[in-house]
Amino acid sequence: MLKLLEGPQTMGRGPAFWGAAGVVLLAALAYPMFADPYDVGNFGYFFVWIFMALGLCMMWGLCGMLSFGQTFFFGLAGYGYGVIAIDLGNGPLGTMAGLVGGLVLAAVAAAVLGYFMIYGRINGVFFGIVTLSVTLALAYFLGQTAGPEWAIGKARLNGFNGMQGMDPLTFPGPDGGIVLEETLFYYVLILGLAVAYLLLRMLANSRFGNVLVAIREDAERAELLGYDVRRYQLAVFVLGSTLAGLSGVLYTSWGQFITPSSIGLPAASMPIIWVAFSGRTDLTATLVGTFLLLLGFQSLTIYSQETALVLMGALLMATVLFVPRGFVLGIGDLLARLAMRRRREPRPAAAAEV
Amino acid sequence: MLGNLFAGFYQFADVFAFLVLSAAGLAIIFGMMGVINMAHGEFVMCGVYVTAASYHAGLPLPLAQACGTAVAFLIGMVLEAVVIRPLYTRPLDSLLVTWGLSLVVTQGTLVLVGSTFPGIGTPLGGFRVGDYTFSAYRMVLFAAAIGVLGFVWFLFLRTRFGIQARAVMQNPGMAQALGVRRNRVYALSFGVGAGLAGFCGALYAPTMSLIPTMGSSFIVESFVTVVVGGSSVLLGTAPAAVALAVIRTGLNAWYGQIIGQIGLLVAVILIIRVLPDGFTGWLTRRTA
Amino acid sequence: MTTLLELQGVSRRFGGFLAVREVDLAVEAGEIHCLIGPNGAGKSTLFKLVVGRYEPSAGRIHFRGHDVTRDAPHSRVQRGMSIKMQAPSVFRALPVRQNLHIAMQHHVPPAELAREEERLLELLGLASEGARPAGELSHGQQQWLEIGMAVALKPTLLLLDEPTAGLSPEETFRTGELVQRLAAGGMTVLAVEHDMSFVKQIATRVTVLHLGQVFARGSVEEIVSDPRVAEIYLGVPHAA
Repeated sequence: MLKLLEGPQTMGRGPAFWGAAGVVLLAALAYPMFADPYDVGNFGYFFVWIFMALGLCMMWGLCGMLSFGQTFFFGLAGYGYGVIAIDLGNGPLGTMAGLVGGLVLAAVAAAVLGYFMIYGRINGVFFGIVTLSVTLALAYFLGQTAGPEWAIGKARLNGFNGMQGMDPLTFPGPDGGIVLEETLFYYVLILGLAVAYLLLRMLANSRFGNVLVAIREDAERAELLGYDVRRYQLAVFVLGSTLAGLSGVLYTSWGQFITPSSIGLPAASMPIIWVAFSGRTDLTATLVGTFLLLLGFQSLTIYSQETALVLMGALLMATVLFVPRGFVLGIGDLLARLAMRRRREPRPAAAAEV
Repeated sequence: MLGNLFAGFYQFADVFAFLVLSAAGLAIIFGMMGVINMAHGEFVMCGVYVTAASYHAGLPLPLAQACGTAVAFLIGMVLEAVVIRPLYTRPLDSLLVTWGLSLVVTQGTLVLVGSTFPGIGTPLGGFRVGDYTFSAYRMVLFAAAIGVLGFVWFLFLRTRFGIQARAVMQNPGMAQALGVRRNRVYALSFGVGAGLAGFCGALYAPTMSLIPTMGSSFIVESFVTVVVGGSSVLLGTAPAAVALAVIRTGLNAWYGQIIGQIGLLVAVILIIRVLPDGFTGWLTRRTA
Repeated sequence: MTTLLELQGVSRRFGGFLAVREVDLAVEAGEIHCLIGPNGAGKSTLFKLVVGRYEPSAGRIHFRGHDVTRDAPHSRVQRGMSIKMQAPSVFRALPVRQNLHIAMQHHVPPAELAREEERLLELLGLASEGARPAGELSHGQQQWLEIGMAVALKPTLLLLDEPTAGLSPEETFRTGELVQRLAAGGMTVLAVEHDMSFVKQIATRVTVLHLGQVFARGSVEEIVSDPRVAEIYLGVPHAA
């Protein structure tokens, strides 16, 4: 099984790569000891989004399904978490049920929507615009729910202002449970991200991952090799969308609110931009690139959110026109090629240079 | 009685006009080039803003609307040459590039123009049928939608450009070998598509409040109409708009706007399950 | 001898055009059956009907005793069919070895995968090309790679749609040897082919299609010496 951590679908192999990854992980673990809690919380906030980027990487990068609906499942799970937590009286029971319920909601919605699209042979550009339409409709609908009649049990949807009043995720424990916030939130997210990253790497290099890549390259050929193409597409769509749902639950837990604006435009464009910029075919590039973009975006947003968004849009255009494979992946390839050359020529022939 | 009947027709005509006008430009570009222009909403917005600006500068409304349309057409032509042409063989990438553009334009307008812009009052007033009063301008919009369909019919079936365009659509390589300049056909098609989006914006400018993100209130309807319709405007967009308008009008009347919007989308998802190539594919198969 | 694939009265209509009409065809286990006919005879359509790309307008298709008439392509492949398409269709961006790997990963135990890939690469004459993207191979090499992918499924029936299209005479001959070696290993082959020298080299039985119908069938010698077959190929009008 562990063998699958390295393979044709993932960049990076050998002691150098894993050593570097280990150093990064250790640095991330040590970070809260040196930084002030506000920055730690901020970093934890960035990690929230990476799950949905990894999900998009799996379905778009590996399998060629460009879904604009990541924030649809993000929102569905986020609202689902809120409704369940509030109606079950919060605390460990409510929030844990909310976590599970939110993820199940996202997965079931993805299975239903995916079934109709994939078995209706919607693909290519239409897949993108149908998922986007559904996403914008959800945002529009939630924006209309300001009145008191829009409540599920005790949970008010609250229109544009969004839903509030849910607790952060709380693990069962003494004194009403262990609340997932600040430094603990940060550590749990690092752990979750590391586990998700490694599992997805193994999945990408497994037989399942091979079939996904085959479908991306030539779906008809894959079908004639005996693969039930549409079942694989549906499976990866559910997987990727559920990861978006996980981001939604974590986001709602982190800020204890969720609004329609985290579903509609421009929020819906963000996952696409992160993943395209990073290099959609590779999980490592997506992980690194998404984090860097979030960091950069956050720093710019302080001055002007609109300008930051203009830059993000321009970045997407530049990526597509000039580096279609993605910036981070391009740099990663370059590093790999340099490392390879150095291995091949252990010592530059200094004498010959004169 | 007559008033009620006319009210039903009026509701239908209003939705139908909105679907046709917002989708025609998108459908032409998709049908010709297989490209979905994600900045479609921004071309609509461009039409709205140029119309409003020219109107405030003193032009009469119809002339201002012509300006809105023309500017969108010209920008479309330029854009095609600069960002779409390098991506002819990569339709998914042209979708991404236009999406990036949409983000740049929306947010850029927010920065440069601000979040509001003075609007235009709806002209022409109202008229009475039975016990109800109706807006005359909505009837103009309905007529304009029919006019757009007529224009598309004329353009593609009765002009030299139309013959060349259809040749390129059938077989780009062969058309080029016969001396059709594919790039020019594509540029013009994209321009016409963008111009129709601008025209849509110009027409709706007097009916809406002007905000830079207003494009997004057009795109869901235009997307679903094109998805259900397929690649042809006349055989796809028009019948799709009729079907969707009937569904939407019924749902609106009985259950309200919100259910209308959601019901429309559910209907779309059910329809694509049974009509894989949309109305275009279905009608072409039936008549083959 | 057992019948592996059987078509009964299979027709396919496109609008008003009947591309394949009431074709009966039986492929027996162990034979190399060639399907020939002039352009437009309906060979490719028939192939697509066999593999499940098209559904027949009428008639039934049985494969290994099962009625597969309405089955999707992938489930026919899972029953033991395998096809090499007309234009080489390999995963162009992926390395040659991964192409084979994807084809065989569900048919070969994991421990033997690497050895099996090596053996196939050797057999296809691609031993030194394993790491190259398949799209960089020559046309002939891509054809062979695709045959290799079809073979990697360990099919009972191998379908070849013009396996020699675009190949040099030398490459064509080597392809014939490859097919014969596979048949000797117990594989049944049904091939659509234009090149008569190739047909003579490999076929144990030949069916001639003309205007969507079965025109003649028999051994290679019988078909080659049949004057009516020569006429449809040369376009000499049939003496009425």
